[in-house]
Amino acid sequence: MEELILTLKEQIIDALNLEEITPEDIENDAPLFGDGLGLDSIDALELIVILDRFYGIKLANPAEGKAIFKNVATIADYVAKNRTK
Amino acid sequence: MIKVLATNIISPLGETTEQNYQAVKSGSSALSVYDGWRNIPQVFTASLLSDEQSKRLLIDGYTHFESIVIRSVAAALNDSDIDVVSARTILILSTTKANVDELAAEEGSDGNYHSPGRSARRIADYFGFTTEPVVVCNACISGVTAQLLAMRLIDSGEYDNAVVCGGDCQSPFVVAGFMSFKSLSPFECRPFDIERLGLNLGDGAATIIYGKSSGNDESWKLVSGSLNNDAYHVSAPSPQGDGAFRAAVRTLEGYDTESLATVSVHGTATMFNDQMESKAIEKAGLSDVPVSALKGYYGHTLGAAGLIESIITMRAIDDGCVLPVRGYSEIGVSGRINISNEERATDRKSFVKLISGFGGCNGALLFTKEAAAPDTSHIAKDIRTLHSVKIRSSSLMIDGEQADLKYEGKEMLSEIYREYSGDYPKFHKMDIFSRVAFLASELLIRKDDNADSERAIVLFNRSSSIVSDRKHIASYSKEGEFFPSPSVFLYTLPNIVTGEIAIKNGYKGETSLYILDEYNKELMDRIVKCTFNGSGTKTMITGWVDCSSENEFEADLRLLTTNEL
Repeated sequence: MEELILTLKEQIIDALNLEEITPEDIENDAPLFGDGLGLDSIDALELIVILDRFYGIKLANPAEGKAIFKNVATIADYVAKNRTK
Repeated sequence: MIKVLATNIISPLGETTEQNYQAVKSGSSALSVYDGWRNIPQVFTASLLSDEQSKRLLIDGYTHFESIVIRSVAAALNDSDIDVVSARTILILSTTKANVDELAAEEGSDGNYHSPGRSARRIADYFGFTTEPVVVCNACISGVTAQLLAMRLIDSGEYDNAVVCGGDCQSPFVVAGFMSFKSLSPFECRPFDIERLGLNLGDGAATIIYGKSSGNDESWKLVSGSLNNDAYHVSAPSPQGDGAFRAAVRTLEGYDTESLATVSVHGTATMFNDQMESKAIEKAGLSDVPVSALKGYYGHTLGAAGLIESIITMRAIDDGCVLPVRGYSEIGVSGRINISNEERATDRKSFVKLISGFGGCNGALLFTKEAAAPDTSHIAKDIRTLHSVKIRSSSLMIDGEQADLKYEGKEMLSEIYREYSGDYPKFHKMDIFSRVAFLASELLIRKDDNADSERAIVLFNRSSSIVSDRKHIASYSKEGEFFPSPSVFLYTLPNIVTGEIAIKNGYKGETSLYILDEYNKELMDRIVKCTFNGSGTKTMITGWVDCSSENEFEADLRLLTTNEL
């Protein structure tokens, strides 16, 4: 799990161009949207691409993302349970 | 004020305005389900030209996009007697992605891709236009922007006639992009309906030929218009329809809305667009005016939409009716609007066209067939430069003074950001073209203390969004690797940066992007001048910004102001 969380953080930083932010700066249970990293609606769609591209998970309905993308821990949990690659 | 001299629509529903109108009137649509279309791994519904129709329309030596544009322009010209060779006739081409399908096809080979500006030049040459054409690339509102530009150029006395053509051909490029935004409905779209699931894309080209009007002509006239940015978000509209509301109100200023037969809306059938449009309509006092929404017939034809929807609405009013909203059955928006899926009779002779697009841009136009007072807004104004910024791949000049920088190319942009701007994380998300334009604007604004929330942003370039175009192509074209990214696709609309600048600074004035075949100061000055004249703009960030690769870019931006004479 630790390894998956680190990989996810790196993938998020890369895909969302979070300049000057390192994996250590992102706490596992800190909110990604709103106050936390301040991500927005395009970033949410970009996270859907990460799930598809690296883990073979297809989220057809972006509304499903809300609970999954709460924080890095919830993403890792969802990925661990649903990944196909 | 300008008048309509001739029109044409080429779409899957027909190749003349009349064929198109009769098809729509009979309730037809070419919307079909595409499964496995050109290796796209998801199902979608769209209104596409058939292979047979495309083949028949193809003109030897021209691309698919150019061919349908040429066919449409030729048909409209055939119905008018304007002189295309005249130095007082201009071609204005409205398109979002022009020949991008050819760019995708040639990746890795020595192809012969024609940029939007070059393509416009080729189309102009086909007919023998002697003036330089202009491409309007203002995302989904391009077709409205192009008509407004025609009005301003003619009202300012720069030209007598304008041939305005809008066109876009759907391709994996655009389909993949909209898929990454989860905007496409797998089913036929349902504008304003409770069960709407998104939009359908459509192929089309449409032309309106405009000439001068005294106001007493019996033909259709374009009376006024406004473009306003939401200054809210680059890909999501303001939930209250702020920009659309302001564009509508400014366009209808002093006009009796009791005379409106219909509000021809954008109505894409996405959750956000239709909701915000309903709010804008209600706030603008248009709740009782019947809504026309045509995406259920044509899908979203992008650069052609503003033209097709204007033409069909004119034709319907001539026929004494407001067309049914195809796909609509139960209200699914919270703003109060007057909408029906049945045809309604009208004896009114005016309408307002609304449109909104990525980059936060919104537009409105007012058309009438009644006599109208001549437009007096084109007062000559004195335009002055307050500040100027020049960025090259290895240098920066602010108000004529060379700045001392360590780096070159992309690193130099990061250096400028750290040195002069900073603390705006969105900067790192922008593509290279947007970074150059954004930084140039930041440097201008730094020099200027006067806040102007109505400030306009009018940019010109040559290479459109070529760097992001290539990046997006790479994200979907490898077999088995279909991972288009919304943030990459977004920047394949070169007007996005005008939205970035508007959002950063809260500018709610006009935002536009024009593409030229080559840098042309005289033409740019002409467009800037007529924009000041026709829009009531007091200050403007404008100039040339071009970026042909990650390390080759140039920006010459100025902050202009005007004193009304």
